[in-house]
Amino acid sequence: MKQAGSNNKTFSLKSRLKRLKRDSNRWSVFTLAIVLFLALPIIFIGVELFSGPGETWSHIVKYLLPDYIWNSLYLVFFCSIIVLLLGVSSAWFVSRFDFPFRKQMEWLLILPLAIPSYIVGYAYAGMFDYGGSLELMLRAMNMDFVRIDIMNRAGLAFVLSISLFPYVYVSARAFFLNQANNLLEASKMLGVGERKTFFKLMLPLARPAIVAGLVLVLMEVLNDYGAAKYYGVNTFTTGIFRSWFSLEEPETAVYLSALLVVIIFALILFEKWQVRKIKFTTSKASSTQIQRRNPKKSLKALIFSIVFLPILLGFILPVGQLIYWATLTASTVFDMNFILISLQSFGIAITSALITVFFALLLIYFSKWSSLRFIKNIARIGVLGYAIPGAVIAIGIMIPTLALDKWLIEVLANFGIDSGLIINGTLIALFYAYAVRFLAVAYNPIDSTTLKIDDSIPDSSKVLGVGNFKTFFKIEFPLIKTGVFSAVILVFIDVMKELPLTLILKPYHIETLAVKAYEYASDEMVMEASIPSLFIIFTAMIPVIFLNKLLIKK
Amino acid sequence: MKKILIGVFALGLLSACGGANDENTQKQDTQKEQVVNVYTHRHYEPDQQIFKMFEEQTGIKVKVINASADELIQKMKMEGKQSPADVLITVDAGRLGRAKEQGLLQSIESEILEKTIPAYLQDGDNQWFSLTKRARIIAYALDRVKPEELSTYEDLVSEKWKGKILIRSSSNIYNQSLMASIIANDGEEASMDWAKGIVANMARTPKGSDRDQVKAVVAGEGDIAIVNSYYIGKMLNSPDAEEVEAAKKIGLFFPNQEGRGTHINVSGAGVAKYAPNKENAIRFIEFLISEEAQKIFTNANYEYPVLESVEPVQDIKAWGDFKEDDLELTKLGENNKKAVLIFDEAGWK
Repeated sequence: MKQAGSNNKTFSLKSRLKRLKRDSNRWSVFTLAIVLFLALPIIFIGVELFSGPGETWSHIVKYLLPDYIWNSLYLVFFCSIIVLLLGVSSAWFVSRFDFPFRKQMEWLLILPLAIPSYIVGYAYAGMFDYGGSLELMLRAMNMDFVRIDIMNRAGLAFVLSISLFPYVYVSARAFFLNQANNLLEASKMLGVGERKTFFKLMLPLARPAIVAGLVLVLMEVLNDYGAAKYYGVNTFTTGIFRSWFSLEEPETAVYLSALLVVIIFALILFEKWQVRKIKFTTSKASSTQIQRRNPKKSLKALIFSIVFLPILLGFILPVGQLIYWATLTASTVFDMNFILISLQSFGIAITSALITVFFALLLIYFSKWSSLRFIKNIARIGVLGYAIPGAVIAIGIMIPTLALDKWLIEVLANFGIDSGLIINGTLIALFYAYAVRFLAVAYNPIDSTTLKIDDSIPDSSKVLGVGNFKTFFKIEFPLIKTGVFSAVILVFIDVMKELPLTLILKPYHIETLAVKAYEYASDEMVMEASIPSLFIIFTAMIPVIFLNKLLIKK
Repeated sequence: MKKILIGVFALGLLSACGGANDENTQKQDTQKEQVVNVYTHRHYEPDQQIFKMFEEQTGIKVKVINASADELIQKMKMEGKQSPADVLITVDAGRLGRAKEQGLLQSIESEILEKTIPAYLQDGDNQWFSLTKRARIIAYALDRVKPEELSTYEDLVSEKWKGKILIRSSSNIYNQSLMASIIANDGEEASMDWAKGIVANMARTPKGSDRDQVKAVVAGEGDIAIVNSYYIGKMLNSPDAEEVEAAKKIGLFFPNQEGRGTHINVSGAGVAKYAPNKENAIRFIEFLISEEAQKIFTNANYEYPVLESVEPVQDIKAWGDFKEDDLELTKLGENNKKAVLIFDEAGWK
């Protein structure tokens, strides 16, 4: 029996190999090449899992890890709840109902993302602080001030949630806007109530989109360093930096990052497996936009306040605090250079957003055109860069780029050229780094919109002899447009506020607003950091408003 | 719509390529133009003023990469012989010691540096030199604490300070240096007891910045805070009137005056091992301890100058002279890791 079983196995392995050979096409090869290119830094970090941690490992496990893991789980749990509540409800209401200021709120809901979360942390601390703006206001009204301590674990969960919920909002809305209409019609015809339609129909269908956003939120929560450090909450990432900076063991830091990557990869695969089990295909992406309902006045007021709340907490209050600080420091901090730096930041951010989205599209479609199913899972390795703290990714990026540089130097030396570093310290390395780091931010929203396209449309087009690329541009791109535009916005904003990679890899002559803000904030000059932060927000508003218009326009 | 999209793309590419072109022209220029590449952890506004002065006086262009010292050290290590770094500046002696240990710095000959900087503030092998000093002092609530009640860092573990001490996280380098100095002075065992005693007396779990500790004292969360001197100077000159008020409500105490003196930490600079512009690097560091640069360090950033001929700014002078712990600064680097291990074991978050 046993013998037969193992024979059977070898047979199936053989047949599998045969199938692999038969099914693999050039798209599989292209996908693998792109994954290799983008995941190289992550692979270098992943390899550290096998070389093991440094000698303080047992010390870390004994004194630090339990606390760090517990805090990280706490943040993951509560941030998930808050961002789901805020993100999904606001996405649903702005897509489904008409109410005052809906159009403005549609893009205002994206903007909390434009403020670096450590700045949001500082702003809230500044409000509730001794001599903070809340106390000043209450004092002006002759009221007593009860100090609320926000600098703790719960406060951190709040701060991270209100600055990150737009990830969920953006991807959920992309689904509701373009995919939901005919389902809603059907549900209405069958006489199903509004509430039931939402919970029984829309929510389960939107799940891949919502989870795609949630995964981005959690990756950022897990790798946040600035806000957690300031609020005195030690997380897994604190552990990474403690072992690197304080315990002087970069290898342990990289080891911990690799562990984090493995955990997150497992989570992503688990979710994909769950979704596949349900395997629903909506008949097709609707070509008609969702019909908005015009509710009663009282309901309008209620909806307005529900949607306004996240804007108030995530944008108006922190920006108000920043503006207050800016008025105090403008005379010493502001100069015309900020306009120039804003332009530079804008150029870098939009270029890297387009590059990153381009790579994401290549990965998604090449792996789709490849008929091997596991290629798709391999493609997902590329998105893990988002879970790793930027400073650690920088190491992963410098390993291959420096190796290439050193090789180039030797080759060029043969021709008598003394070249110096060609890739490191130039924009090429920086764009590469951003693509590696933010691939997930582009990949997830696009991937979740492609999931809902009925494969029969492009398939029939191909049967008719139309090529992959033509099919893509003529048929698929118009259908996934919302996802692509959302991706461009999100990557743009992320690059605008990106810090560690920019600091370590930027060319000398490049200044970005985020670097400016950091120069002040890192030296406890939080008030002075407000002006560059406000510039980040205003610069980010331009593409947000512009692309949002394209999103809504038919 | 396509047109708009193309427009956006073109704009982005243009501005990026503008940068790239810059790069090319700059590379050509470096052949003729004199530069010094500075990797620095000092992110202070006044520093840029000093760099500008150096450029004007010498014609040598200062190119700066800002990041934390650990990241910069890692970067230099990976770049190896190709590293463009000429000068490494950190805000603690420990990191400079670490850079030296890893072979990232080189010994230099500079009579100016060796003679003007006191011996305990420079590396024995001339690999790094201090630029400024800061004292880790005790800020106390004027209305609740009499200075007579304070004496030494060691005394802070006594029963009377239970629930009264404010101090930031142990991941902060200034705390690590303080602990390293206590290890050097009192030994490891006593240091462990000290760390445990401080943790037991803390008013709250460590969080926030040095300024936040001072504000918490004024808000009544605790009575005393262990902070760096220059932050008090900055608060006294803050654009926020509330911060100025807060700083006026606290007194400054220099601990251990009867004994070894108050713990100081420094910011310092060294020349990189593979510095492509070594001569410029030395000139640059020499300029940083010139009278005019030292004046800016103290006037605008409220640090203590290393140059004895420069007087500290009025706000600092008002606190009076004090005795410094003249422990060899290299000890701080050597004991840094031990300090962190002790912090962890004592439960100092």
